[in-house]
Amino acid sequence: MRPTDGSQTGGNQFQRRGLDDLQLGHLRHFANLSRQLPNQWELMKGKGYGQEDFGGYRFQLAYMSYALALTHRHRLPAAPGVFKPIFERLIAKMLLPEVWMYWRDVSRGGSIFNAHLSSGYSEQWDPVARDNIMYSAYLQSMTLLYHYLFDDARYAEPGALTLQFWSYFWGGEQKRFSYDEKSLNENLYWQMVESGYLGVACEPNCTFQICNQPAIFGFRLHDLVYGGSIAADVVSGYEQAWKEFGRLGDNGHYNIMLSQDTRQVRPNLGKSPWVDAWCGTLMNMWNRDFVHAHYADQAKDFLRAGPDGALSVIAGERPLVMGQTIVSDSCDFGWMAAWASEMGDQTTLGGLLKHADMYMSPCWRDGGLYYPRNDVATDAEGNASMIEPMSGNVLLGYARLNVPDGLWAFYNDPWSSDRFDEPALITVSDDLDVSRAWFDASANRLEFSLSGTDATAEGLVVLGNLRSRGSWSLWLDGAEISSGRADVPASQDNEVVRRVADGLVLRHAGVRRGDYVLTFTE
Amino acid sequence: MLPTTSEPPAIRPAFDLIDHHGRAVDLTAFRGSFVLVFFGFTHCRVVCPRALKKLSSALEALDEDPTQLIALYITVDPERDTPQVMRAFLETYPRILGLTGSRDQIEIAKRNFRVFSRRSASPTEDGNYDVPHTAMTYLLDPEGRYIAHFNDSLDLPEFIERLRIGLTEGGR
Repeated sequence: MRPTDGSQTGGNQFQRRGLDDLQLGHLRHFANLSRQLPNQWELMKGKGYGQEDFGGYRFQLAYMSYALALTHRHRLPAAPGVFKPIFERLIAKMLLPEVWMYWRDVSRGGSIFNAHLSSGYSEQWDPVARDNIMYSAYLQSMTLLYHYLFDDARYAEPGALTLQFWSYFWGGEQKRFSYDEKSLNENLYWQMVESGYLGVACEPNCTFQICNQPAIFGFRLHDLVYGGSIAADVVSGYEQAWKEFGRLGDNGHYNIMLSQDTRQVRPNLGKSPWVDAWCGTLMNMWNRDFVHAHYADQAKDFLRAGPDGALSVIAGERPLVMGQTIVSDSCDFGWMAAWASEMGDQTTLGGLLKHADMYMSPCWRDGGLYYPRNDVATDAEGNASMIEPMSGNVLLGYARLNVPDGLWAFYNDPWSSDRFDEPALITVSDDLDVSRAWFDASANRLEFSLSGTDATAEGLVVLGNLRSRGSWSLWLDGAEISSGRADVPASQDNEVVRRVADGLVLRHAGVRRGDYVLTFTE
Repeated sequence: MLPTTSEPPAIRPAFDLIDHHGRAVDLTAFRGSFVLVFFGFTHCRVVCPRALKKLSSALEALDEDPTQLIALYITVDPERDTPQVMRAFLETYPRILGLTGSRDQIEIAKRNFRVFSRRSASPTEDGNYDVPHTAMTYLLDPEGRYIAHFNDSLDLPEFIERLRIGLTEGGR
């Protein structure tokens, strides 16, 4: 029987709508970056030196992962095969020394915030043992996110997260630090306890509000995977601990950080957009009412209206420090877009993306969409044009792919594990874009749309979890192209569809889009 | 020899302190018994009284032989919490043994249990001072190994239930 139009039933609006071309472009760009060879960081290098600032590879890798997770959860729930391999490649890159070796230097202290303490610090190689939550929490949350999303415990194996360095040219014996998702989580938890729940430091002595939010996300994921209430315990302690200092400064903007030795908070006096936007984007997951309540007043200080509803971001002032110019990526624009997406502020999000599309040179490369690094503050007409790789590669994509309160829902609305038994796109070849993929449990059918990246695309998909579903029929653009029984070896194998264990291999060649429905009858 | 520091032990239960009878004790003094450990200070107005009351109620409910399940209360405020002060304070909680020591001894115990405490900069209304501190109860097995910890936010029935599980898992 011909399937009825399912566009008005089941699923949510984001699943039914699927991804548009721009969203697919961002997803493809994430995949392209993840496929770069080890230590090939093309398009990803920011202005700063040595992976020390907010444009570092670790942030790009982590927020690509978060964006993938949000997209899988909210838009393409039946397409784990799209996301899983990208996740694995991003995690593999997180373990590369190029990403974490900055810690050997930063661990020595001596930043302008705590130069007086540097004699008490020594070079530390292990990047997750103490402090450095700006790396460790991302590795923790990415690996637990992987486990949660794909029900795959590979990073729970002892030594699965091994940070290893050896050079032919210097340094003697190898450095090797072995963890797994559980031991890493435990390590962060106890550092959090030792801090009195104020949080774990980034640079020594500097506890940032922002950088402890990913750890809280990781604790929540640990609870979702293993049970327990670490996240609730930590959030409760965190709330209590920060009461003494306040989350916001006198000007209504988020306090940036706490100096552990002096117990002084550093307010956002310069009204740097990234501070509020980054903190608000993440903190919304467990503190939605508070973040939403302050959003409008905070955001209005950062936005500049342009033509036709376009919006740009007023960059915070960068005064000289010790006579030096700070060279780093603030990623103001990208974080503002991500924040607006989480807040569900479509007007602001749309305005920012419009500005980016007008003045920030969107590029398509190998099917991927990104905004290339531009260090020039404004163009000849005075339009803001500066954009960093973190914003152009990752955050604008994150913002386009997120849904309102997307991170909040991820944190507070556990995803039923029933999905692991439901029909889904288990494997998707690299040359295919998937713009829709959701299983309608009430109608017992899988809906998905495919298109090849170019005319030579072979386009192979494994449709899995079909066992015990009875008879199936596969429809392409309204016409039945194959049918059979899920538990009986097929005689209908053909060029397009063939049976494998617990699934079907579907071939979708070429660039044309195909809208598929896989229906079942008991 | 590889210079590896991976996976540092989370909790290293060890201390060298003075009990509230004035006797020097370390963890070997309790070998053969399960041990519950809570850190706090006797001037604590809210957290410690609530936690010690809950701990006492749990001990009563579990009805364990007192020699097989020991409860320790280690001060984070040794300047004020002498053995005499602790003994008097704990008369209200007779199943619990107080431990104190020098500042250095307390700092070592805190570090081993990864406990936070810090003397508050602002005085309390009565001119005293507070010492915000970690409020969790640790459970050690008869060999002195860490089994579990229980956050202060647990209500009494859940605390008892999780203690029972911990004791069972610990070989009880």
